[in-house]
Amino acid sequence: MYGGGNTFEAIKAEGLEEEDARKMAEFEGRIAQGEKIEPDDWMPRLYRQQLIRMIEQHAHSEIIGALPEGTWITRAPGFRRKLALMAKVQDEVGHAQLLYSAAETLGKSREEMLTDLINGKSKYSNVFNYPTYTWADSCIISWLIDAGAIVNQMANSKGSYGPYCRALERICAEEAFHLKYGHDSVVYMATGSSIQRQMVQEALNRWWSQIMTFFGPSDKLSVHTETLMRWKVKMASNDECRQQYLDMYVPKILELGLTIPDPLLKKNEDTGQWEYTEPDWDEFRRVINGDGPCNAERLGVRRMAEERGAWVRLALKNPTAKYVRPLA
Amino acid sequence: MSLKSLDPRINRLNLPDGEQPPMEPKAAFDQFETYEVFAQKRDNTPFTYAGPVHAPNADVAFLFAKEQYSRRSACSGLWVVQTRHIMVSPYANDDECIYDTFKVEIPEHTAWPLESYEVFHLKKRGKAHTHIGRVGATSYQEAYHKAKQAFAAQHPAVNMWVVKSKNVLQSAEEDRDMWLTLPEKKYREPAAYKVLDRIKSFKEKQQKALNK
Amino acid sequence: MKEEAIKDLLYKIADDQLILGHRNSEWTGLGPILEEDIAFSSMAQDKIGHSLAFYTLLHELGEAEPDLLAFSRSATQFHNSQFTELPNGEFDYSLIRHFLYDNAEAIRFEKLSHSGYEPIAKVATKLKGEIKYHVLHANTWIRNLGSSTEEAISRLQNSLNSLMPYALGMFELSVYEQVLIDTGIYAGEEAIKEEWLTRIQQVLASTELTMPDIPSQTPMLGGRYGTHTKHLQPLLNEMAEVIKIDPTAEW
Ligand SMILES: [Fe+2]
Ligand SMILES: [Fe+2]
Ligand SMILES: [Fe+2]
Repeated sequence: MYGGGNTFEAIKAEGLEEEDARKMAEFEGRIAQGEKIEPDDWMPRLYRQQLIRMIEQHAHSEIIGALPEGTWITRAPGFRRKLALMAKVQDEVGHAQLLYSAAETLGKSREEMLTDLINGKSKYSNVFNYPTYTWADSCIISWLIDAGAIVNQMANSKGSYGPYCRALERICAEEAFHLKYGHDSVVYMATGSSIQRQMVQEALNRWWSQIMTFFGPSDKLSVHTETLMRWKVKMASNDECRQQYLDMYVPKILELGLTIPDPLLKKNEDTGQWEYTEPDWDEFRRVINGDGPCNAERLGVRRMAEERGAWVRLALKNPTAKYVRPLA
Repeated sequence: MSLKSLDPRINRLNLPDGEQPPMEPKAAFDQFETYEVFAQKRDNTPFTYAGPVHAPNADVAFLFAKEQYSRRSACSGLWVVQTRHIMVSPYANDDECIYDTFKVEIPEHTAWPLESYEVFHLKKRGKAHTHIGRVGATSYQEAYHKAKQAFAAQHPAVNMWVVKSKNVLQSAEEDRDMWLTLPEKKYREPAAYKVLDRIKSFKEKQQKALNK
Repeated sequence: MKEEAIKDLLYKIADDQLILGHRNSEWTGLGPILEEDIAFSSMAQDKIGHSLAFYTLLHELGEAEPDLLAFSRSATQFHNSQFTELPNGEFDYSLIRHFLYDNAEAIRFEKLSHSGYEPIAKVATKLKGEIKYHVLHANTWIRNLGSSTEEAISRLQNSLNSLMPYALGMFELSVYEQVLIDTGIYAGEEAIKEEWLTRIQQVLASTELTMPDIPSQTPMLGGRYGTHTKHLQPLLNEMAEVIKIDPTAEW
């Protein structure tokens, strides 16, 4: 899962003018023709940096995203849900593995990325800094957060970097199951007993503002954003993704008799755009910078996994082995 | 004090609470070498590149590869190769063939005996390498030339990988039953979730309640 | 009598698989290596799947629905060995349990695939491939870690020593033991235990780990007939936490 990967830090694009003009023209020509860039190709430094950051954050979001849902594996109601949730969370860990690998082809090792995550130097999707209070929260994530991730990932799968596209192709296929499973579990509750309906409504109320921040704040138009779009690193603006998402999912939520906790939410038929209460971006910034309900726990858990796993890795490490980045 | 969580699993781990000193940076190479994995979806289809795993040796790489790359779709076999054993050509443009644009010296002396090499082609940038065949050669260079003679005309490629067959760990014929029950794990397929009828009858019920 | 014996057999297998699958699933997202996290989760899924298959056989014999069997009994009604219910500990502990359990499971299923009770034989035959991977996974890990660093070896040895009495509890005799053997439904625990000891010993011999002295062990028995450690009831409470919010609802 993933969201708003391009919005966390201001993009610095120094040194673009220092790049080799002939190589740059060849690189941009390839992208303009719809050809993919592969790891051994020449690429501008900005392209490499930006992709590493984006894919790395995407990978972190998968592995951290496994936590708020993973907690419900031991409590999932019934075999059908238990098996599906196990497989779903396992997929998210698998997505992290695929994405770290794709980022590795650009020259940053997996261990560097994991260290940066644990030390707070590298971000992940902010929604996972919030807890899942009940089973219904996990169902809402599986459906509506994964749905957001799919909007993002489908856009990115048409990007220009070969290894990222290959990983996303596989990821999108698996997300189709997540979305169906999530929807199914919400539908059962929303059409079920009054206790269930109340649970799922409360969970939606808790998660709606996270859903609205999922794609990040409106992009500031800048030369750099424009460059990244031309290079097919950034494939759609945050607002475009949010609008597309609302188009697809608001009707599906409402048909279940659920209410969306935003009195201003409506589609303006003249502009074709959704209007809504602007989410609290100050809170968003505060939480993403560390001050959220679960930041410390999420990183603490990742750190524990690394530290308690260190003896295993040390025991198996071949002392003569040398790191080679994966090929594709 | 240990960290209090809503997650019962986490509470059982007794994690320290409060601000922690930053984690020591990991050694530059804390984990393992990488292995590249190729999966065969069904009989008589080529092995296709699936992705890498980090592993300490080929046996463990196989264990990892099996679950990371063949747990979700049909599979009849798996190959695992250490990344550094794969020789990679440069990449050509999509409208070119790598064998036309990239030249390798033909080794002068070809010694005996020939060794077997596996050849993989990338048809188009962004796609996955697939196994195209096997050649006998005494060096990677020679294998490249043999591959060019054998495959270039019929199978143009933008990139080729070549690896000694002996460096490919192949799943055994008798291990195929490990993938036997895959199709039965329906709970991880989208098709297992059908709620349209449930939504429809819910809406009808709501409508009835409104009409009353 | 024969049907009671079959149910007794099915219950202990299903409950073992459910409880250990549940325990192993706690590792999802917390494993020492990403790839191992994924592998371990797959095997936990397999185990939960196996338990469902055996509860389904029980249901066909007139017992309650699988969901009810798994989610609404209390600890004293469970037939799993105490071995499977112990908390996970660190990775060495979970790995040793996986190694000891899955080697036994493999033998159990090999024997069951020839069971005179057709439905069991069918299920056991079908699951052989999955269990083959589990054993390959367990044995490969033990071979690798069991002859690596001092820390790894001592961790594994300690876990092995403390788990062995519980592992032997897996082979607690059924009250129907003789009926099951005589009717060709099951090979019996003693036969499985003997074979298991040989296989375990074989793997350990290729490492620097030492097989604990078996005759001097006191097996932890009682699990098969409702005597459990203090860990099982909380596990079951957690498992049923959501379903109990509204037990009649469809989730
Ligand atoms: Fe994902
Ligand atoms: Fe997902
Ligand atoms: Fe198993």
